[in-house]
Amino acid sequence: MAEQTKKSFLEKAAESQVWKSIFRGGGVPRNRRQRMMSVLNSVFLHLHPVRLPKHAVKLKFTWCMGGLSFFIFLILTISGILLMFYYRPTIEYAYTDIIDLAEQVPFGIMRELHRWGAHAMVITVWLHMFRVFMTGSYKPPREFNWTVGVILLLLTLMLSFTGYLLPWDQLAIWAITVGSNMARAAPFLGHEGPGASLLAIGDINFITMASDARFALIGGRFMGEAALLRFYVLHCIGLPFIIMIFMSIHFWRVRKDGGISTPV
Amino acid sequence: MDSFKEIVNYISNPTILFTTVVLVFPFIFPPSDWFEKWHRRLGLHHLWGTKFIVIAMLGMVAFFMYGLGDYNFQKIVLKPDNVPISGLIFLVAFFTWLAMNQAYKNDERLNAGEKPNEYFEAPNDKVLVWPDLVYVELISLIIASAFLLVWSIGLPAPIEEPANPTESPNPAKAPWYFLGLQEMLVYFDPWMAGVVIPSLILVGLMAIPYIDRNPENSGFFSYNRRRLAISVFMFGWLVLWLMLIIVGTFLRGPNWNIFGPFEYWDIHKLEALTNINVSEIIYIKWLNKGLPDSIIIREIWGISILLGYFLILPPLLAKTFLKDMYARLGSVRYSVFIVLILIAITLPIKMYLRWMFNLKYIIAIPEYFFNF
Amino acid sequence: MLEGKKTATKPPVRKAPAALGETVKDNEVSRRSFFSWLSLGWIGFVASTGGFFTMMLRFFFPNVLFEPVQTFRAGYPDDYIIGEVDTKWKDKYGVWIIRNREGIYALSTVCTHLGCTPNWLASARKFKCPCHGSGFKSTGINFEGPAPRPLERYRIVLADDGEIIVDKTQKYQQEKGQWSDPEAFLRV
Repeated sequence: MAEQTKKSFLEKAAESQVWKSIFRGGGVPRNRRQRMMSVLNSVFLHLHPVRLPKHAVKLKFTWCMGGLSFFIFLILTISGILLMFYYRPTIEYAYTDIIDLAEQVPFGIMRELHRWGAHAMVITVWLHMFRVFMTGSYKPPREFNWTVGVILLLLTLMLSFTGYLLPWDQLAIWAITVGSNMARAAPFLGHEGPGASLLAIGDINFITMASDARFALIGGRFMGEAALLRFYVLHCIGLPFIIMIFMSIHFWRVRKDGGISTPV
Repeated sequence: MDSFKEIVNYISNPTILFTTVVLVFPFIFPPSDWFEKWHRRLGLHHLWGTKFIVIAMLGMVAFFMYGLGDYNFQKIVLKPDNVPISGLIFLVAFFTWLAMNQAYKNDERLNAGEKPNEYFEAPNDKVLVWPDLVYVELISLIIASAFLLVWSIGLPAPIEEPANPTESPNPAKAPWYFLGLQEMLVYFDPWMAGVVIPSLILVGLMAIPYIDRNPENSGFFSYNRRRLAISVFMFGWLVLWLMLIIVGTFLRGPNWNIFGPFEYWDIHKLEALTNINVSEIIYIKWLNKGLPDSIIIREIWGISILLGYFLILPPLLAKTFLKDMYARLGSVRYSVFIVLILIAITLPIKMYLRWMFNLKYIIAIPEYFFNF
Repeated sequence: MLEGKKTATKPPVRKAPAALGETVKDNEVSRRSFFSWLSLGWIGFVASTGGFFTMMLRFFFPNVLFEPVQTFRAGYPDDYIIGEVDTKWKDKYGVWIIRNREGIYALSTVCTHLGCTPNWLASARKFKCPCHGSGFKSTGINFEGPAPRPLERYRIVLADDGEIIVDKTQKYQQEKGQWSDPEAFLRV
């Protein structure tokens, strides 16, 4: 009995059936074996190996930028879902809904969290790539994972870019006008790009203002309702879906290629 | 103090700023023995010492504090969407220093025949993820969340007038991370600056591990043994990407004119921008006659310049300056590498041609939307 | 032959060797034909998948657009002063109407660089684009900045009652020599 009273509340809780059924590996991780099991048996933690080289836990070496990018992505997902409860992607309501989000909705910093988080994620992704380059971590066997990383960079920028239109203010519409007009000049695929006029039979042009890359992007010949809806869907569903797939590949390969890179 | 502002405004002009940076760059990140020698002789390796970063950070903070006293500077720097870029300047400066500082320390160790700082004796030097890593992660997450929360409470997200498709704001800017591309749009046609170059940046980034693939010197910070790779990467990332973003954000004002950071954004600032094409220089200026009717004859000069640049220059370099590299990489890797590099270099080349000769296009065939 | 070796190592549970030889022959024929069927199947699979994705791509190009009317009536020729740029239709229809000594033409307000809307600076007598600094003369000819070609002109004709009709679905580009088209320029 004397032994039992010494046990803390946490330890007692850890012996209960409920705790054991949720957290495998048994008890509060105290000894080496339990600590290893707590990593191995957690669906989230087993993203990591059980043991790491010493320098892999030093912020001076890792900068933690990859982890922060993922964390900010999660913040953006959650705040984005919350924003979707109030925002309607139509020309009539989009702008006023954004105003309401700041002025009428309780805890009115959700849009700030989303916007500044988006800026921060672009920066952390860049710095992560910079660190990976400077430590030569893209070298074999990690070549392909670097490539996946470049795709993730592109998707991050695309996500940020599509979100830029949604407030439907002057800043948004002109940034996207300029951006999407570049698609108009894409070689062969844009109606003002080099080579587009070659894709024609006689007088019939296949690449016109109503059938080129820009048209597919904004869903019309002019920036309007269709563009807003397309960017909304891409921003909220399409691109997050794709980036999740590539992130899974990225993380899985980090593990399979031996975790963080180490000197040979 | 006004003279200080004037000097800053003056050197902010891209012609001066860019030229200075391009000239100084190889001495700071030396790509070869010769530059390395001068890098040491000029004492530039002290840039990566601990003392320097303290001085540099304090200097930058002092500059920003001083600048915020100026109305024009304050207006552009405190614009909500520009705040991340001010942060970016500090972050990039710090992390570049951090990387180079560790790299130089490792270089010294390697030169002395020791192992790099990150070397570990498997399995004795390994640590457990729980608790060593998860704690670091937890603390990073808490700090990041706190930082984001404070930022969100302190700075409202920008919202401007409702969208009006017939009234462009002046200046109309892309999101800040694309301002480097928008800066290129001044010198290139949209199909190059908006489509081809961004695609090639991505392809070039993806190609890095397939061109530089010696697995040695990986897994730790180092400079000397990878100096060409790092020097080229740093030029692309710091000069051609980040510097153009900073120029596009802080220095481009109404009508896309250049304004110094302390200069008033005068909508009526006039700049002569009458630009001419290569064909016009040759036929009208030199030969004193009109442009020929045939597109081919008109543009043959520009086409031959470009063909020479992309088809004759690479084998020429492979035979002379880049002989070693050609032997090391083999023909396929060498060709991919050199074409990507040559395309990247067209940007500074076109910038200088514009500044010196008002040159607009080397090849100008607006009939088929093909301008280069 | 391989089959034969295999059967040799196996316990003789199967049929007599003579019959086995026959089945081997049959097998080879059927295997060959099987492969051709297989390749046909693969071709079919790839083709139908490709077709499906083409259709998915086509999905992004709607057949009907809900966009504003592209043709409008712009008053009578006498409403416009010779030598001036009229900006009254800019906000609603994105058109400048300009009258010179010979006639009237309708300029698009879309910059040929990246589609911003330039402003008419009456004092400098030029269109100046705020996005990247392109400049156009009142004729629409580009003379400064990055714009690669002149502004486009729209079809402009007189209705039966003498009113001007501007049709934005028909564009005329100078570099293609289309400005000499009789409907690109209304002589008055």
